[in-house]
Amino acid sequence: MAHNWIKIFIYHLKQNKLFSFLNVLGLSIGIAGLIFALLYWNDEHSYNEWNPEKDTVFQVLVKLSDSPASSDCSLFLKPVLDKDTNVESIMYADSWYQKDKIIYNGKKEFIDKIINVEHNFFSFFPFKIIKGDAVSALKDDSSIAISDDIAKRVFGDENPIGKQVKCLDHRFVVRAVYQIPGNSSIAPNAVVNRMKELTATYMTAPFAFKLLIKVKDPLKIENTRKSLERLYNYDFIIRVAKEAGFTPEEMAKKIGHFTVFMEPLSKARLHCVADSYPEGRGNYQFLLIMMSLSILILILSIVNYINLATANAINRAKEVGVRKIVGASKGNIIRQFIFETILISLFSVLLALVIVELTMPHYNNFLDKNLVLLGNQFYLQLILIFIITVLVAGIFPAIYVSNFETLKVLKGNFGRSKNGIGLRNGMLIFQFAVATFFIIGSYIVYQQVQYLSNKDLGFKGDQVISVPLHFPSSDYEVENVGQHIYNKYTIIKQELSKIKGVRQASTGLMSFDGSDNSITPVLYNDELFKVKSIALDFGLFEMLNIKIAKGRNFDRKLASDTINSVMINETALKLMNIKNPIAKEIIVRNKNLKIIGIIKDFNLLSPEEKVPPIVFYHLKTVDIARNIDKVFIKLDSDNMENTIVNIEKFWRTVDKEYPFKYDFVDKEYARTYEGYVKQKNIFSLLNVVVIGIALFGLFALASYSIQRRMKEIAIRKALGADTNMLLRELSAQYILYCIIGFLIALFPVYYLLNKWLENFAYRIDISIYPFIIGFLALMLLTLIVILSKAYQATKVDVLKYLKYE
Amino acid sequence: MITIQNLTKIFRTEELETSALSGINLQINEGDFLSIMGPSGCGKSTLLNIIGLLDSASDGSYTLSNQEMIGLKEKGRSSVRKENIGFIFQNFNLIDELSVYDNIELPLIYNNVKASERRLRVEAIAEKLNITHRLKHYPQQLSGGQQQRVAVARALINDPKIILADEPTGNLDSKNGNEVMELLTDLHAKGATILMVTHSDYDASFSQRTILMKDGVVFSEKMNQRNVDVFKI
Repeated sequence: MAHNWIKIFIYHLKQNKLFSFLNVLGLSIGIAGLIFALLYWNDEHSYNEWNPEKDTVFQVLVKLSDSPASSDCSLFLKPVLDKDTNVESIMYADSWYQKDKIIYNGKKEFIDKIINVEHNFFSFFPFKIIKGDAVSALKDDSSIAISDDIAKRVFGDENPIGKQVKCLDHRFVVRAVYQIPGNSSIAPNAVVNRMKELTATYMTAPFAFKLLIKVKDPLKIENTRKSLERLYNYDFIIRVAKEAGFTPEEMAKKIGHFTVFMEPLSKARLHCVADSYPEGRGNYQFLLIMMSLSILILILSIVNYINLATANAINRAKEVGVRKIVGASKGNIIRQFIFETILISLFSVLLALVIVELTMPHYNNFLDKNLVLLGNQFYLQLILIFIITVLVAGIFPAIYVSNFETLKVLKGNFGRSKNGIGLRNGMLIFQFAVATFFIIGSYIVYQQVQYLSNKDLGFKGDQVISVPLHFPSSDYEVENVGQHIYNKYTIIKQELSKIKGVRQASTGLMSFDGSDNSITPVLYNDELFKVKSIALDFGLFEMLNIKIAKGRNFDRKLASDTINSVMINETALKLMNIKNPIAKEIIVRNKNLKIIGIIKDFNLLSPEEKVPPIVFYHLKTVDIARNIDKVFIKLDSDNMENTIVNIEKFWRTVDKEYPFKYDFVDKEYARTYEGYVKQKNIFSLLNVVVIGIALFGLFALASYSIQRRMKEIAIRKALGADTNMLLRELSAQYILYCIIGFLIALFPVYYLLNKWLENFAYRIDISIYPFIIGFLALMLLTLIVILSKAYQATKVDVLKYLKYE
Repeated sequence: MITIQNLTKIFRTEELETSALSGINLQINEGDFLSIMGPSGCGKSTLLNIIGLLDSASDGSYTLSNQEMIGLKEKGRSSVRKENIGFIFQNFNLIDELSVYDNIELPLIYNNVKASERRLRVEAIAEKLNITHRLKHYPQQLSGGQQQRVAVARALINDPKIILADEPTGNLDSKNGNEVMELLTDLHAKGATILMVTHSDYDASFSQRTILMKDGVVFSEKMNQRNVDVFKI
């Protein structure tokens, strides 16, 4: 039986080479898309899955009024949590990694993921301990635990346990080597326990460190949450009110309302309200978009398959009729056609795996991940995809074919049967709708990304590089560190300006990569405002072409500008609502500063967010020069490469330990919306795929439908219809379907794209143009496909169809 | 009305050339009712198709109303066809997806006749052919004879100069066949020009003149008696 089936399957494969190939290709592209999306999905959902504590470990997030939630929690929460019977243990930790080198026996290894935590870290993140033990791994501030690959890099085949290393300017003893079992929200290369020196200070600040708590019963977490919220909104407010001499009610009004969230580790990756773990959070929205688009594409290719299979079935009606007469049952026919679908799907899955394997490096690069085609979970899903594809694509055509009435079929004239046309046309309309969605959607995404990259950012960074600056730790151990560092920086600046091609150098405690979201309280007229504060050196605004709206810039000739001058941006001016701002006083970091000028707003955070209110002062105004960590250098536009080479030469004398690195400021900023540029690219790619699949479906369906109408066309021709009339008649229905599909897609595309645009503080409004262009493009493509097919049909020999059918 | 001189038609395949028509001469005058008979493959259908402008000749001359048809482009042929020629086929060739009314109306649409007039004309012809009660039906719902009536109605709706009938009774039983032949005779009596291909001597006897073809040439020609020999069936 199977042999007979395979023979006829191969015969049809050979007969319809092009359609068979396109069918397999379409299905495999659909399956490949789904495989890609699934790998991404699995990877994101595997975060912390391995961790047995994922449901009992919570991170505490605090949100003040309408500012974004933060994972920095106060230390004054500890006594209350210690008394809470539901809390098993708590841990303060950094929410970022530090970078440094580990020195062992004079050998240096750079490590970029060192985390500072408390002693009980391994009970929150029970990594697999390979050497040493978890309990004593971080017992004191001279203990360090390292990951297995770092152990290999630093110690080779030596046993690291008990060995002394130097790191972060301290001596540590290696007490454990661990292996991280899977994706983890905290996945450090080295773990140290030096929170004590930090937790000893900052006792009273409302925002300090990341706080993780492990509870006995996750269901009772709400009680803990309430008690913490009360600490903020009641105890804390009363205390600061007393200090500042206000009533608690006044103070509460000034500061705002605190909301506390408790978030289990299991939700940390994809459903976190703040980007608060060092490994960052996943983009759940993008994950969903990828997932649904890939499912949509697979549906589209399955629809094509069904359409082609049922249309083609008419050509096989006679075969089915004969089979039935010689004894095949209905079930037999169904099995035969499902068997064919299984073969086609199998080819498609194999081809899909090849496609995935070949394009995986690009995909990994795109997602910045390291996905591989492995894993039991993935194989199970692949089998599931295969089964679902076979069922959805196979059952319908099989039943359709098996229902042919034997007698009708054998009497001939079945070719013009109307069976299944409604369904095929319905699916065609669906394809038109999806294609419309993609054409319009990708055009809007394109417009938005284009808008972001062309937007006047308020600064020009194409000739300005930022170079990270590291001073040796000894420089921070002198008296008056700020002055010392400032002097060293000044010397570097002077040396830099001697290099040919360097126009200017300056510094500022700011970065354009969107990472800086610190907030400083500023008082104006006794009112508290939460703004960003940036300390900088002279000349930075000119270098970056940042404009001054009112007043004047900082002036190195005026001594007061390093003592009590401040500039604010337009947003800050609006926020504080200062009339005639010049010469007004505000209080920043307990200093009375006089406003000398208003800076025109410029983008600092990613374009998703609005320009924050910012105050600017000179590095020396507030003694903060010790934090200098980079130099901005403006270059002449010609011969930039050469200039950079010369800067690098000079830099090796400045910073002997770290390799020279630089970044153009505009590129640094562009990275803040890199994700969206990638989304645009993938959307464009999917657009091509979807339109390709939809047009193929249209082409195939039109071919079959016109084939079916050949006799009608011949009769019409005999009655005197000329080519133009026939073309009109043949294409009319498809144009109608195209319009219906277009109309169906209008609302979803408008709604969903609007939702997507809501991500951006600076966004385009959806205009009529994408819709017009989408409509014209779709219509044009449809007409090309249909008319080419119809034109062929009108050229046929009329006699053939009038005579012999 | 139709003058055919030295008409030839050669079918070429890779291996051989077959002469379907070799030098046909024929004159059809207005009001003629002409039958073409002959064995299968003698070229009678080819001749009919060339006259109907569904096929093209290899050589010779064919004038319809003093206009040369050989060498006419597809566009010109379709316009001559729709204005001058009505077809009746053996297998009716109705469009299954259209109702009887729509099928009959079709030639009028291609001739740009106004909708209101189309309606009147379809109704008139339906009445004439006694199919008014079938106008809303679809071809598949009719008997063969009724389908052929519809086809005749469609052929006549446009008042063509000539009606070409290709074995019009071939798919019908004798009763329905007879009806159709009487219909054609009737039309002829009213002045229509008819060219009919047939296998049946009986059918041919309805016409004025029968030409017999063999191997692509006109073999003989005879005038028919108008009286019908009913015992010959």
